[in-house]
Amino acid sequence: MATRSLNMLPEDCISAIVSLTSPPDTCRLMLASSSLRSAAESDLVWSRFLPSDLPQLLSRAHTQLGFRSKKELFFQLCDSILIDGGVSCFTLNKVSGKKSFLLSARALSISLSNEPNHWTWTTHSTSRFSEVIELKTISNLEIKGRIGTQDLSPNTTYGAYLIIKVSDHAFGLDSIPSETSISKDECAVTNTTYLCPMDEQKQQLGSLFFMNRRQMMEKRVVEGDGRRPSKRGDGWLEVELGEFFVGGKGEMVKMNLMEVKGHQLKGGLIIEGIEVRPKC
Amino acid sequence: MTSSKTIVLRSSDGATFEVDEAVALHSLMIKHRIETGGADSTTIDVPEVTGNTLSKVIEYCKKHVEAPNSDDLKSFDTDFVKVDQAVLCHLAKASYYMNIKGLLDLSSKTIADMFKGKTVEQIRETFHIKNDFTPEEEEELRKENSWNLFV
Repeated sequence: MATRSLNMLPEDCISAIVSLTSPPDTCRLMLASSSLRSAAESDLVWSRFLPSDLPQLLSRAHTQLGFRSKKELFFQLCDSILIDGGVSCFTLNKVSGKKSFLLSARALSISLSNEPNHWTWTTHSTSRFSEVIELKTISNLEIKGRIGTQDLSPNTTYGAYLIIKVSDHAFGLDSIPSETSISKDECAVTNTTYLCPMDEQKQQLGSLFFMNRRQMMEKRVVEGDGRRPSKRGDGWLEVELGEFFVGGKGEMVKMNLMEVKGHQLKGGLIIEGIEVRPKC
Repeated sequence: MTSSKTIVLRSSDGATFEVDEAVALHSLMIKHRIETGGADSTTIDVPEVTGNTLSKVIEYCKKHVEAPNSDDLKSFDTDFVKVDQAVLCHLAKASYYMNIKGLLDLSSKTIADMFKGKTVEQIRETFHIKNDFTPEEEEELRKENSWNLFV
């Protein structure tokens, strides 16, 4: 006859064991039996999955969070919360418990962003934030973001992505590739990217008529892959700025996108912000 | 000069084991019982643990007390928990009540590893768990967990 051996263990002992698994495993354990469910729902378990800097995080929340259990709080954080007066967004990954941040355009340092001749602060129906910024016209594009690694999950490789849309009346955004850089500890890793998604037809025409010019422009910037934006699930595009590893000590990471070597006017770029999220 | 004082441990089913005091003290529960005295502090009852399990627990304590820095301690621990889930649960329970942190951590981690990546059915099967939810309750729980790919 099968013995229900797990049930001989005191509930807090089972909870301690469950806390060594993961959020998805724990949710599956909740379906096994009512006593496992009780042990798996305990705050003892979900405290382990929540970030270690939870009090500081909660103090940065834009609105007070109401929760009846640590499990409820965990899933609320997985649904994203606004922090730092609403200029940034924090999300916890349901499967790994790792942290992600989205810095809005207001949280970034964008050259001449307060000059209405160059940029317009506006709203966008599909943005997480109350404001996005739209480029009217500018010669030099300088977009800078910063994040401290102490805010992120340790022992994780993170990617930084500029989240944008390209309006219908955009111009000059890709006359020369933009330069991206990630720097940590005075050490910078650079690359190049275009801001408009690949358009086959335009690309072919471009090659035909402007090949020399394109090659000349590419020579002006640092060596790079000439990346293209990719489509996101939320309707926006993202441009990878680079990646970095979060080790033990806290460091400031600078994430930049610059186009200052082309001296060409450009416009029609809409920026939601920079997302910093773990790479798989 | 070595202390050769021994302690007798008595399991729930009346089995007795004579062990060196140093080995017995690896259990903080026993250490506490000895320190708080009592008329007959050389025989200690451990009613939460059966004879079979107590014998294994003593084997663990002996190895960890007598050769804590030996190279084969890791492989000893790995082999020690290569047992079926029922024995594993008994070891976890014993180490919990007897307050033996190393053994509790070892058995807990082993059980946790047995949970990882399994479907609900596989978990029930491995640990002989009876599903005591009503169909309605189970349906509700599964709906909540639809994000969990292989529920």
